[in-house]
Amino acid sequence: MQIAYYPGCSLHASSELYDIQCKKVFKHLGTELKEIEDWNCCGATSASKIDDFLSVALPARNLGIADATGLSEMLIPCSSCYNRTLVSQKILSEDPELKNKINTELSQKIEGKIRISSILDILLSKANSGEIAEKLIKKLEGLKPACYYGCLLTRFPCDMKIFDNIENPQGMETVCKAIGAEPLDWSYKTDCCGASASVNDTETSLFLMSQIIKDALARGANCFVTTCPMCQVNMDAYQDKVCKRYGIGKKIPVFFITELLGIAMGFNPQEMQIERHFVDCLGLLNELKLI
Amino acid sequence: MSSSVLQFEPELSQPLIQEVMTRSGQNLLSCYQCRRCAAGCPVGDATGVTPDRLIRMIIFGERQEALNNLLVWKCVACYTCGTRCPNNIQTARINETLKQISKEAHNKPLLPKVAAFHDAFLRSTSHFGRVNELEVMGLYEMQNAKRELKQGSGWRAIADEIKNQAKLGILMMKKKRIHFRLDKTKKRSEIKRLYKKAKDKAGG
Repeated sequence: MQIAYYPGCSLHASSELYDIQCKKVFKHLGTELKEIEDWNCCGATSASKIDDFLSVALPARNLGIADATGLSEMLIPCSSCYNRTLVSQKILSEDPELKNKINTELSQKIEGKIRISSILDILLSKANSGEIAEKLIKKLEGLKPACYYGCLLTRFPCDMKIFDNIENPQGMETVCKAIGAEPLDWSYKTDCCGASASVNDTETSLFLMSQIIKDALARGANCFVTTCPMCQVNMDAYQDKVCKRYGIGKKIPVFFITELLGIAMGFNPQEMQIERHFVDCLGLLNELKLI
Repeated sequence: MSSSVLQFEPELSQPLIQEVMTRSGQNLLSCYQCRRCAAGCPVGDATGVTPDRLIRMIIFGERQEALNNLLVWKCVACYTCGTRCPNNIQTARINETLKQISKEAHNKPLLPKVAAFHDAFLRSTSHFGRVNELEVMGLYEMQNAKRELKQGSGWRAIADEIKNQAKLGILMMKKKRIHFRLDKTKKRSEIKRLYKKAKDKAGG
């Protein structure tokens, strides 16, 4: 089966490993990801702080390209891209005048028919259907992840129907259980890491991350698992600084969900590019005899 | 906003609340001050002003205070306040609108680095259609340096800021998390036209 795929800027840059993992893992699960052609940045969380028109129009161009593929579904692994694209599609469906205005500038017009899926939407259905279990080489026993959703997977700037609980989502836990991990119940799963505040208001971001890390450790988590490249890079690259500043004695790996799936399905750490993490991951995986 | 309750002048408040309501799409007048937003705000402790208070400020027409408070500039746009609000008011959207109004009025942003970052991000998108992290960081630090020089803070402040970011940059390089090739959209003319449309709209 083939579905459309929008990687977004992060997956072509600091989170390139996530792009590589997505393609490999989905292919192994029988879904080929077809990257849409000549896509552009969705404007992420910045556009709406400067111009409302651009915050809709930038993802709209990608929606036009995606509609033209004729495929019925598009995967967007990055939470921010997923959120902005879905919001744009909704606004355009309610505002035909705006849609026309944007369409006049586009060579591939928005029709609004493609279904936008987060990575969890798809993985959850594959976990429930047993497709993931079929491909399992080993169970990730002993892995106790704190499933970290962050903000933009469940919360939107406007009303949006999603297939999970907004305050206490369970999709990632279900996928983790399907590969034999033991996800923990905890309180900060949908709390904010600060996103771009790590760059422009660092103290705020470090404080937010300290609370998330403290709660995960208090619950006995030995790693985080996330689907958002912004959360991943923040929690991974800044963890050392957070732990020093807030006297936290232990650092734990921050996995993308795709690399855990990959390991469970028999890929080796090199194929998943696990060496590109800031907080060491191989130690834990070795200790649990998972690699 | 302490004494404003006694000085409420509807004719002064109207233009501000109307502008914010129209642009943000949020019905501020339905706020009944239950403070559920305040309870959930992750930056509320640091900002003092919480979403409920900001809404009150806008209703009272206090333009300068509404544009220059820490909530507007420290808001991480996590959308917690909005998803919990019983009246469906998304204050993160209000904060975004206030940032836009502030920029359009050439106000000095309370946290200039926050404004500089979003500017740099959107400029980077306009150049190549895609965001290249090195370019964003370059544009961002240039804007910071320009501002520091103007303020007469001297080279030390600038050097410290750049040193801090460079440290992270080197770490990212070691982990192969920085890319040096330029990622571009081919049909950038389309993106430029969208930017132009945005500009024309703001001007007209």
